[in-house]
Amino acid sequence: MIYITDKIKESSTYDAIVIGSGISGGWAAMELCRKGLKTLLLERGRDVKHIVDYPTANLSPWDFKYGPNHTMEEQTRNPIQSSSSDPSNKHFFADDINHPYIQEKPFTWIRGYQVGGRSLTWGRQCYRLSDLDFDANAKEGIAVDWPIRYKDIAPWYSYVESFIGVSGNKEGLPQLPDGEFLSPMELNCIEKHLGESIRKNNHDRLLTIARVANLTRGWDNRGPCQYRNLCSRGCPFGGYFSSNSSTIPAAMATGNLTLRPFSIVSEILYDEQKQRAKGVRIIDAVTNEMHEFYSNIVFVNASTIATAGILLNSTSSRFPNGFGNDSGQVGHNLMDHHSTAGAGGAHDGFTGLYYKGRRPSGFLIPRFRNLRDGENLKFKRGYNIQGHGERQEWSDKVYGLNGFGADFKAQLTTPGPWTVWMAGWGECLPDYNNKISLDQTSKDKWGLPVIKIDFSFNDNEHEMMKDIQNTSAEMLEKAGFRDIDVFNYHKSGGSTVHEMGTARMGHDPKTSVLNRHNQMHAAKNVFITDGSCMTSSASQNPSLTYMALTARAVDFAVEELKKGNL
Amino acid sequence: MDRRGYLKTVVSFGVISVTSFSLFKWFDLNKRVDPGKIWDKRAIIAEIAELIIPETNTPGARSAGVDHYIIDVLINCNPVRQQHKFYEGLEDLEDYALSKYDKEFMFCSLEQKHAVLQHFADHAAYSNRILNKINNKFLGQSFFSKIKSLTVEGYCLSRVGATKALAYDYIPGSFEACVPLQLHQKSWATK
Repeated sequence: MIYITDKIKESSTYDAIVIGSGISGGWAAMELCRKGLKTLLLERGRDVKHIVDYPTANLSPWDFKYGPNHTMEEQTRNPIQSSSSDPSNKHFFADDINHPYIQEKPFTWIRGYQVGGRSLTWGRQCYRLSDLDFDANAKEGIAVDWPIRYKDIAPWYSYVESFIGVSGNKEGLPQLPDGEFLSPMELNCIEKHLGESIRKNNHDRLLTIARVANLTRGWDNRGPCQYRNLCSRGCPFGGYFSSNSSTIPAAMATGNLTLRPFSIVSEILYDEQKQRAKGVRIIDAVTNEMHEFYSNIVFVNASTIATAGILLNSTSSRFPNGFGNDSGQVGHNLMDHHSTAGAGGAHDGFTGLYYKGRRPSGFLIPRFRNLRDGENLKFKRGYNIQGHGERQEWSDKVYGLNGFGADFKAQLTTPGPWTVWMAGWGECLPDYNNKISLDQTSKDKWGLPVIKIDFSFNDNEHEMMKDIQNTSAEMLEKAGFRDIDVFNYHKSGGSTVHEMGTARMGHDPKTSVLNRHNQMHAAKNVFITDGSCMTSSASQNPSLTYMALTARAVDFAVEELKKGNL
Repeated sequence: MDRRGYLKTVVSFGVISVTSFSLFKWFDLNKRVDPGKIWDKRAIIAEIAELIIPETNTPGARSAGVDHYIIDVLINCNPVRQQHKFYEGLEDLEDYALSKYDKEFMFCSLEQKHAVLQHFADHAAYSNRILNKINNKFLGQSFFSKIKSLTVEGYCLSRVGATKALAYDYIPGSFEACVPLQLHQKSWATK
């Protein structure tokens, strides 16, 4: 423990501290800075500057010695992260040896420990939740009620979309509200064909282009998208939204931001007298020294599992079970979407048509199950189907195309039949037993307790997966596809990288951690706006919701500060 | 007697049970392969790769340097068991050429080389899907299937393959969702 002199203490004091610089932390920092607060943004990993720190962004396939293959050394050292990365983007994935966690049941925890976090490698799909989602828990008596409804967040969705730039098509669906969209990317001919078939055969369904944070025109001095489809390397054109390309530079530009990489937050400090957080303690990842930083407001955006870990590690006489954990819910109700079940097939039509450019997105069939009561399905809630159509290319033909020699080569290098792959992104019900906790007996290299993850999908998710397989296959069949392959990859939790729920919002401090403003019930100057705040998972890709909740919470926090309530 | 000779003897006399054969093979396949032994086979690997993707009106696997890629990936990115299976497959192929044509593979005519590789293509997999799955999981992909997939990958990712045999669009700049196929249209090199 280092002794902190008054002088150091002074330079360690800010108006606000944000823990984590990923998609929600970047938003928190930008909004706080733009409202005039001197803000310290803490990031446990290294700095990644937009463009200059994207070393692989402009490389061609032949620049990678081993192609898309990880070395055995990499596979052995990073068995988890290497399952999601490839040599072109592995520098944006955490190191499994230095950042261990315990899988009480198999759980794939994909992490991006650097400035920008996983906003560099995210899927970029942006979908609004609706009241179908916000009402569901209360209606079905599952977990606790969301303390907000669509009308509370709708203007903030618009605010965020208008800033980040989302391309998409308005469809007027109540279960998937329209947003502020840039012009949509186009569906290719097989996708249009499937869409028309669905429109004809299923009046309750439609197929639309994915809504993505990829720019179809220049926006905020970024983009437009160049259709390279190499997003996860970082985009030198700023063609998609990330903290690095957007919110962090905007926060920097205010002059109010201090960004501190290599700063692992070990705990949030509690002020017994004022009954609120006084700041945070960090371990410098390079020097291993501890430092304390103080502020009026603390935003926790470390990502769902890490955020819960920090809270559980922040004990005091007031909070013996973890910071703000009067309810005992911190770390519980861990959710992740499942996305392993679906179907694919080939089509013999449209042989004279192709496409040019690599669209960095696919299509979406918005949720069509349990939109109203009495559907008598074996599961609650629903799923949306995501997929893409393409002509078979060489990489699809490696194992399917028999023989070798000149004819083989000719077939290998010309466009094959059209195919569609699609899978359901399904809701995961909150379950108290799905949880993270700390293992006090094992410590990481900085002496912090290692996180244990105990998660499994339950009957509701498994029943839904079966339905996804059936509806997907049926839609393909009706559209004239052949060789329909119905699949379930049976991946472990975490594989969709949509973890959420470990510090949920709710009305009642006895059963939830945060109130309707993402403000901690038990410590009013702490706000949590990453995935941990989610009361239910819905089935939509969640990042847009985290960003909207963040902007909304900052607005509230700063108003409270002005009123003298914080 | 070297091990291969021993194995052949054992198998030909048919005195070894399936179980002990598997155990023996398992033990053997988990020992490390000397990379030098694989590099020594570079010429024959290049020859097989060229048979798989020959020069036509576009360059073949040899001009694309695919042999180097195959060895790099095999040695650095594949489990030891897969490396063994590959190396043994190469030796089997050489043995087969010798027994069939009484010539080293490299001295066979193009037709003969083709016939030799065809033999391995025909016997690359069990006819039973489940057996294939088990075999692939515990012993790795068959030699033919491995060298074929590495050849395709190495060729299509190479500068020569991507830009000459395929259409490489480095920065498309726009997306055109539905365009007519051109005469002699090549596949896009990347997705």
